[in-house]
Formats: sequence, C-alpha cells, structure tokens
Amino acid sequence: MKMSAAPLQPNPTGSAIGAAGSASGKAAVMKQSPSLAQRWRGSSNLIPALLFLGLFFLAPLIGLLLRGVLEPVPGLGNYEQLFANSAYARVLLNTFSVAGLVTLFSLLLGFPLAWAITLVPRGWGRWILNIVLLSMWTSLLARTYSWLVLLQASGVINKALMAMGIIDQPLEMVHNLTGVVIGMSYIMIPFIVLPLQATMQAIDPMILQAGSICGASPWTNFFRVFLPLCRPGLFSGGLMVFVMSLGYYVTPALLGGAQNMMLPEFIIQQVQSFLNWGLASAGAALLIVITLVLFYFYLKLQPESPVGASNSR
Amino acid sequence: MVLNKRATAVLFAGLLATASHVVMAAESVNFVSWGGSTQDAQKQAWADPFSKASGITVVQDGPTDYGKLKAMVESGNVQWDVVDVEADFALRAAAEGLLEPLDFNVIQRDKIDPRFVSDHGVGSFYFSFVLGYNEGKLGSGKPQDWTALFDTKTYPGKRALYKWPSPGVLELALLADGVAADKLYPLDLDRAFKKLDTIKKDIVWWGGGAQSQQLLASGEASIGQFWNGRIYALQQDGAPVGVSWKQNLVMADILVIPKGSKNKAAAMRFLANASSAKGQADFSNLTAYAPVNVDSVARLDSVLAPNLPTAYAKDQITLDFAYWAKNGPAIATRWNEWLVK
Repeated sequence: MKMSAAPLQPNPTGSAIGAAGSASGKAAVMKQSPSLAQRWRGSSNLIPALLFLGLFFLAPLIGLLLRGVLEPVPGLGNYEQLFANSAYARVLLNTFSVAGLVTLFSLLLGFPLAWAITLVPRGWGRWILNIVLLSMWTSLLARTYSWLVLLQASGVINKALMAMGIIDQPLEMVHNLTGVVIGMSYIMIPFIVLPLQATMQAIDPMILQAGSICGASPWTNFFRVFLPLCRPGLFSGGLMVFVMSLGYYVTPALLGGAQNMMLPEFIIQQVQSFLNWGLASAGAALLIVITLVLFYFYLKLQPESPVGASNSR
Repeated sequence: MVLNKRATAVLFAGLLATASHVVMAAESVNFVSWGGSTQDAQKQAWADPFSKASGITVVQDGPTDYGKLKAMVESGNVQWDVVDVEADFALRAAAEGLLEPLDFNVIQRDKIDPRFVSDHGVGSFYFSFVLGYNEGKLGSGKPQDWTALFDTKTYPGKRALYKWPSPGVLELALLADGVAADKLYPLDLDRAFKKLDTIKKDIVWWGGGAQSQQLLASGEASIGQFWNGRIYALQQDGAPVGVSWKQNLVMADILVIPKGSKNKAAAMRFLANASSAKGQADFSNLTAYAPVNVDSVARLDSVLAPNLPTAYAKDQITLDFAYWAKNGPAIATRWNEWLVK
C-alpha cells in the first residue's frame, strides 16, 4: 500500500522547486485552505474501506492487544516482565540494530542502482527494473536458502576465496549478525529502488544542468541539489525497509544465530511453543508502538508527503 | 521444526483445498503432523490402511502449529481431529484443558510403553538425541559421549545444538559435567549454563532436521546433538558420519485429540490403529524412528533394528516431559537471557 503511494506523490510543476526551496515558498504556491465541509466532501466513499479495515483489521488487532493486559491475569504483568528482564531489552536492541543496519546497507546499495536505472536508456532501465521485481517475486525461502549456500563455511564464497589463497580460515558469514544483514539487505533493496527510482525519474534533468551553469561543482550539485530532490524517495523507501525489517522473521531465523534473536522470533516462540499469548501480545504491542512512533517522525520530517502536507497546513 | 512447518504450509493448504471437496459426505478424520517424510510415512503406515479397513477418510493437514491448535479450541471451531505434537507440549496442553481425554476402551493402553502414554495422549513415535560427528572433520578420533562436545582441543570445530529451549541441551550439558543420570531433575540451570558457556562461541544452532543434516554433512559443524533418524538418513546417503549412542536422550512425539474435535469417535479409532503393534512397526520401518508399542519390536526390519533407539535401551536416558511441561516457560526465560548475553 505504501509502495504505491510513493510513485503517486504529486509533482506539480512548482513542487520540484518547492521541495528544494523553503517550506514558505511552498505554502505560497498552495491555495487558501478550503472550508471544513469542502475538505470532507466525498469522504463517504471511504465508508466501505473503513468498514472493512475496522472489522477485519482493527477489531482483531484490539482483541490481540487486549490479551496483553488480560492474560494470564488482568494487569500490566506482561509488560513488567518484558521491561524488567535484561534479555528482552537485548532482544529489542538486536531488533533495532539489525533494522538500522539493513536500512543503511540497502540505501547505500539501492541508491546507485536506482540512479543507474534512471540514467541508462529507457529500454534498458525497464529491463533492470524487471530483474529487481523478479527477484522480489521469487520465493523468499528459496532466496534465503541460496544465501546459505553462498555464505556458509563450506559455501561457494569461502571455497573460492580459499582456493585463491586470500584466506586460509573460512570467514564466518552466516549464523550471525553478518548473515542476517546480508540476507535482509538483499531482500529489502527492491523496496528502496522502487520509490527512489520513481522520485529520480520525476526530477527534471534541467535542474541539475541549471545547477552546474550557476557554477556548482559536480559534488556540490549532487549533495545540494540532487540529493535533497531525492529526499521523498529516500524517506519513504528507508522507512518502509526499517519498519519491515523490525517485523521480519524467516531470514533472521535461517541466517542468524540464536544469540541475535529479534522481537518477531521472540513473539513466535511465545505463541507457538509456550502458548504464552499474553507476553507475545505485549511484545506485539511494543512493535506496533515503535512503528507508529516512527511513522509520526516520518510525517514530521517529510512535509512533501501528501499526508504530511495536509497535516502541517 | 518451526521452519519445516512454514515451508510445507502452503503445499498442504493447496492439497487440503482440493481434498476437502471430495470428502464432505463420508465420515472423516483430519490428521495433522509436521509434513515432510515423517508425515508421508504416517500416511502410508497408518492412514491408508486405516481408511481401507474402516471406510473413514483421513485428510492430511498440517503443519502442526500449537498456536493454531489453541486458537481453534478457544474459538470452538476445531478443524483438527488428531494432531502430532511434542511430548512436553502434550502434557502442557492437557494441563491447559486443550485436549480430549482418550478412550482407553478403544486404545490398548497396556501395550504402550508407559513413558509415552498419558490420559490425553498416546505416543506417535519416539527418537533419541544422539552424538553425531563428521568423520572427515575429526579424523581418527572417535568421540564417545557428551563430554566430547565440550572438549574443543581433542575434537575441534563447531558444535551443532538444537536451538529451541526444549528438553535436550541442558540435560546433555549436565551429563557432560558429571551429573548422574538419575539426579538430572530438577535441572540445575546455573550449572548447565555455566557448562555451556565454555563452548558458547563454538555453537551453531539448528532449528530443524534438514538444517541439522546440512550442518553436519557439509562439515560446517564437526560434532553435535542430532535426532537419530537424521543421522541414519545421512549414513544411508553415504555421508561420512559417525554416531555414539552413549546416554542417548529420549524424546517423543505424541498424538492428541483437540478438545471439541468434531470426529472424536473416528479419531479414537485412528489412534488405536496408529498405536497398534502393526501400525507402529510399519511406521518405524519407514522412518528409523522407534515404536511406542512394546509388541512392535519383533516386527522390525532386521537390517534397520540395530539403528533404532530400541536397540540402545540400556544406554538410554528418558527426558522428563512432565518436568518440562511444568517448567518450560520459566526455563525459556533463563535460556533467552543466557543466549543474548
């Protein structure tokens, strides 16, 4: 859902400049805010969607969260247990550091890729984009196991490096943090590339030209003009990857070691092995709160987004 | 096991969708297990002959998911009639009131090894955690018992251990530390974790059978704790894998009927058939897991028999399922604390 929102970001002729320039410049372009009745006109079209979400998403979600304060006995016991235990704090820290590292690496790798797709002739760009999409559509399990084949001690990479005499002990690239970050960054790159590429595609090359005509060095042009213009794509891609990484299960379970347990694995353990749904629900609530807080900051930091714009009106 | 469950979930969902159309009319039992070769063997040894003899259709479903089982019982919409679960879970679920009591007028209780039968569950099969090692990695040194896991000088390389906080790892650490087999319970957790600390950086954890085989066969781990059936399968494939049965730790899968099952009577008959001398022996001959029926031993394939836990009963230590059913969640908290420390 969020993915389709990114390419849909409005790009009126003025907005490129508005985005690069100050927020006040942007406000001047916008029309006077319409009256309340006008703004809510047509909102009745939302009713089916709201009903659907309410019945099949919000109601079960609330039921789930209630378990956290009702089971096994009513009260905040589950949350107490979650915060009092240093192990769970560590699990939380693991979750954040993995999500952070994955976001960083997929941004570093996804940015040049998105740029390349934008720069190469149109037909080629579409091909590369299709390859990215194809990798996204391949079975997650198959892709994760392939990484295992590549990275393990007796795997392709270690064997090749040892045959070339570069290393004489196999590198430990799997069943630890390294493996998780490699596997997940790879899986997350499409989610960076798609919004970022859409943003880059929409940037008028004339702006960069204008920058260099005005005397900007290539570096200045990149950091002061191009990068700020990419901000909406970077933000929406980065946030999506971060939030998805927080809730990821399969890849960390396969490529990670037990000592790098993340929150989702902890929740699954409580649900499936110990039927301790109260504690699991507390863990899930924590994950939801973290996600909501992040989303709030995203809206604050990213006034160009359609949602953010109407909020900061 | 959790991962295997995921992998096969989609497959079985598809199978079920087609299967459930066919069987609407006749009496039927929904059988749920872990998928893979184990469930194939359960179908071949139990379900197919049972259907032929009784006219009751057995619908294969899966994989086993404890969370799902609890949700079904709580909502009153129970889709599963017979479920293959781990032994400690069977006792925990019974204590939580999630299971139907079994009808021992239908099921022959006195023929079942008493370790593997309770009021709410009858054994599906049993197996042992054994010490397995890669002969190519260890050379001529033949590890004898669990102490070898903690002797990184004589037996270098990574150690493969079962990653879930369930019966096995803590017990073998205590045994290696010199605790007598009959003094294992209640588990001295401090002592167990202290022992495990000495090899913590050398451990690779496995979460499912296929993963354990891959670790050992590839040499990624040179030694470790494995399910006996998986070691046997590797040896059958010609992998250079050795095994020591000394102090083999017995664990079991149990068949249970969720509370509120819609085909309770048929499910009882299915259990009677599965736990019969023939049903158990047929299943063992297909899988290299051990039978829970005491009369099955005579029916075992003579080539296979020396590779089953039944042949190493003297060296056996049965894990205390009841202890784990009661203390499992508390141990898991300690376990997680130790893991991420």
